[in-house]
Amino acid sequence: MKRDEVLMNLFSEDNKPAALENIKVVEIADENFAAAVAGSMLAEMGADVLRVEVGDEAKSVTPYGVTVNGAGIPYLVESRNKEIVKFDESVKDKIFSADIVIDGTAPGYLETLGIGYSQLSVKNPGIIYVAISPFGHYTSKAKEFKDVPDSDLTAQAYNGYPTLIGNPYLTGEHSYPLRAGLWAAWTMAGVNAAVGAMIALLERLKSGKGQFIDIATNDAIAVVTTFPAVVGFLFDSPRGRFGTIDYLVYPFGYYKVKDGYIALATPSDADFRALLKIIKRWDLEPDWKFTLDRISDDIDRIRILDEELNKTLQKFSLGELLKRASKLRRSRIPLISRFLGRPVIVKMNTLKEVLQSEHWKIRKSFLQVKFNGKEIIVPNSPIKASETPPKIKKLLGKLIK
Amino acid sequence: MRDYFEFVKSLMEGDKREDALRGLRVVEITHFIFGPNIGRVLAQYGAEVVKIETPGEGDRYRIAAIFGRFYNRANLLYAILNANKYIIAADARNEKARKIIFELIKKADVFVENLSAGLVDAMGIGYEAIRKVNPGIIYVSCSGYGQYGPMSRLPSFDVAAQGVAGVAMKTGWEDVDEFYKLPDYFGDYLPSMYAVFAVLSALYYREITGKGQYIDISQCESLMRFMYDFTYFSVTGEEIGKTGNMDPASVPSGIFRTKDGKFVAISILTTQQFEALKSLIPQLKDGDRFMKERAKELNRIVARWVEEKHLEEILELAKKYRFPASPVLDDKEVASDSWRWERGSILKINDRLLGEIPVTGPIVAMSSTPGKIKWLGRPVGYHNRLVLKKWLGMSDKEIEELEREGVIGYWDEMPGTAPPVTWDAEKDEVFWGEKDEEG
Repeated sequence: MKRDEVLMNLFSEDNKPAALENIKVVEIADENFAAAVAGSMLAEMGADVLRVEVGDEAKSVTPYGVTVNGAGIPYLVESRNKEIVKFDESVKDKIFSADIVIDGTAPGYLETLGIGYSQLSVKNPGIIYVAISPFGHYTSKAKEFKDVPDSDLTAQAYNGYPTLIGNPYLTGEHSYPLRAGLWAAWTMAGVNAAVGAMIALLERLKSGKGQFIDIATNDAIAVVTTFPAVVGFLFDSPRGRFGTIDYLVYPFGYYKVKDGYIALATPSDADFRALLKIIKRWDLEPDWKFTLDRISDDIDRIRILDEELNKTLQKFSLGELLKRASKLRRSRIPLISRFLGRPVIVKMNTLKEVLQSEHWKIRKSFLQVKFNGKEIIVPNSPIKASETPPKIKKLLGKLIK
Repeated sequence: MRDYFEFVKSLMEGDKREDALRGLRVVEITHFIFGPNIGRVLAQYGAEVVKIETPGEGDRYRIAAIFGRFYNRANLLYAILNANKYIIAADARNEKARKIIFELIKKADVFVENLSAGLVDAMGIGYEAIRKVNPGIIYVSCSGYGQYGPMSRLPSFDVAAQGVAGVAMKTGWEDVDEFYKLPDYFGDYLPSMYAVFAVLSALYYREITGKGQYIDISQCESLMRFMYDFTYFSVTGEEIGKTGNMDPASVPSGIFRTKDGKFVAISILTTQQFEALKSLIPQLKDGDRFMKERAKELNRIVARWVEEKHLEEILELAKKYRFPASPVLDDKEVASDSWRWERGSILKINDRLLGEIPVTGPIVAMSSTPGKIKWLGRPVGYHNRLVLKKWLGMSDKEIEELEREGVIGYWDEMPGTAPPVTWDAEKDEVFWGEKDEEG
C-alpha cells in the first residue's frame, strides 16, 4: 500500500490554490446543458462562473420530473460553484468585462441583446467567446437551421451515434437505431468547449487577444472519435448495428455469466489465448487465433464465436472466472508480463454497487451533500491534481459542506 | 444589415496568429485511445509531441484496423489519432532505452502515460523520479480506475470502464436482456477530452506560478461525472436503468420511423417546444407529462404522427415551429455531409507518406488559432533519428549504435506498423533526421 499512501498524500486537497483563480466566466444559457457542462468544468477548477439565464426552463429538464429544492437533477449537478442570475441590463457590465463568455443560446441571439461577440470584442479585445449550438454559428446549414433548438438526442442522431447502437436481429421497434443512455452529445460538446476555452486562455497570455470559438453539438462526438471519416473513406456502405459485438476487437462487450453480467475484453491475441484457457475452450484456438481472424467484417461469421463464448461463459460465475484468471502464468519481470496475456474481466455494476464500492469512497469520487436534511450524492470532478485540486463548494448557489 | 452568420464566417476566415500551443513539448508513452488522444489534441493546436512506442508492433492500436482494412499498410484510425506526432520506438526492457526515455521526459513540459497503474515506477520514470529533475513537469497518468485505491491495479478498457461505472446499465431496451456499450470508445474519448482540460488548466497555473504537478485521471470517474443517475438514485431510491429511445428528461422524445422508412429523432425540452408540437399534434395533452407511463403514451402518439410524415416534412416543420428534430445519420452520411466539409470538421489532407485522405478535422473551431492536421501517424520508429538528434543532440553514429544494440527499433511486418510499399527510405530526409516534417 505504500504507493497508495504516497499518492493520497500528494493529492490531498488541504490548503491548495485553484488553477483558474480570478478567471471570470459568464455562461449564458437555458436548457442547453452542453454550455452548463463547459461552465461547470471551469468552475470546478476555480474560475468565477456567473450563469445568466434568459428563460426559466432549464430547471425542468430532469428525469421523470424529479426535482430538489425546485431544481432538476442535471441542473443541480451542473450548478456547481456557480452564481446564477436572470438576464437583465445590470449584468451587462459583468459580461463585457469577462475573460470567457459561454453562449448556449440560439446563434445570433446575444447580438440582438447587444452582447454578441462583435459588441463584446470591441470593448474587450481579450474576450474569449465560446459558442455552443447544434450546427455552429457559421456555414449555410447553421443559418438554415438556426431556429431548430438543441437537444442531446437530436445531436446524438446527427452525430450518427444511434445508428451504431442496438441489435438489428430483434424485431419491430427494438431493431431501431438506439439512443445512448446518457447525454453523450451534450457531454462531449461541453467538454470540447471547455478545452477550447482553455487553449484560447493560454494563447491569450502570449498575444493578449481573445477569439471566437465555435462548438457544434451535432458534430461533437463524430469529430472526436474519428470513425465516420475513416469508414466513409474506406467502405462503400455504412456500419450497421452489431448488437453486443464491437467493430474493432472481439470479444469486447458485456456477457451474461452464472451470477450476473461481466464486461469482457481481450485486446491482444495473448489476452484471447488466456481467456480460452480460463474458460477451458482451447478447442476454439486454431480457428480464431489472431486478431484478424476475429474481426467483425462478417457479422454472421463472428457470431459463431460469439455464441460459443456466450454459451460457455454462462457456466461460470464471476468468482470462478476471476479465480481461474489469477492462476494464469505470470512473468516476474513487470515489463513483459503483458506478453503472457490477461483478459479484462470485470463485473458490470448497478448504481448501488458503484456507490457502495470502497474504491470510490477512498478516492472521494462522489460528494455527499445535505439538502433539506436529506443526503444527496453528487459526482465529484474526475480530476485529481496535486497542486490545484478541483473543488466543489457550492450547489444551487448555496455553500455546501 | 450584415448577416450574423457571414460575420462569424469572416472571423473564421480572418487573420491568424501563431499556433496556440507552439513551443510546448509533450512526451507520451501511450497506447490505444485514452492516452494518445491527449497528445492528438495538444498537437492539433501546435504542441511538439513525441510518442514513444515499443519497437516492432508499436502501439497495439495499430493492428486494430476497422474490419481489418488497412490503407497503404497503415491503420487510418491510428494515423488520425496520432497525427502531427513524432513517433519513436525504444525497448523499455533495455536499461539504455529507459535512460533515453528519462532524458526525453526531463526536457518535456507535459508527460502523458496510460500504462497499467504503477508500471512507470518500475520503469524508473514515475512522477517522483521525474519531478526531481524536472519540477515544472505536468505529469498525467491515465487509467481505468485511478492510480490509487483497491481497484487501481485492475486492467481496464473502454468496455470495462463503462461496465464498472454503471454506464452500461443505461443503454438498451427495458424489456430486452441485453446491454449495449456506447460505441466508438466513448469510455476512452470522453475521459481523454476531460484529461486534456486538466492538462491545460495545469499549464495555465504553471504559466502564472511556474509550478508543475501530477494529474491522475480515470475512465470510470470521468464517465460517472456525467451520470446524473447517481444523484437521481440518492433522491428517489430508484435506478432509471434502460429506457430505450426515450430520454426521461425530455417528453416526448424518441427515435421514430417516418413514412419513407427513415428515422427521425425528436426531443422536446421546454413548454414552448411542447406547445409548438401540440399545435401540430392536438392529441398531445400536457399535465403530468414527465410521469413514466404518461411519457410513454405521449411518445406513442408522436410515433403514430411520424409514421404518416416524410422525414423532410418533419424537418421543415421543426424549422417553422421551432422544436428539436434531426435525421438519424449513418457513417456514410456523416462522412459526406457538406456541412461538415464546409465547417472543416472533415477535410482532405495530402500526406507525404499515405497520400490524399479525408480525415477528421480539428476538434474545436477557433477563429485566430485554428487547429491543424499536418501529417498523419507515422510507422513505428519513423522519427527516431529526428528526435534523438533534435532533443538529445545525438550523432548518426550514436544512433546507429543504439539500433545495433536493439535499444531503439523500427516496424516489423505486422500490418499497421510499416510505411507504404512504395516508400523509398533513401529519399526520405525526414526519416534520416535531416529535415523536419512540414507544416
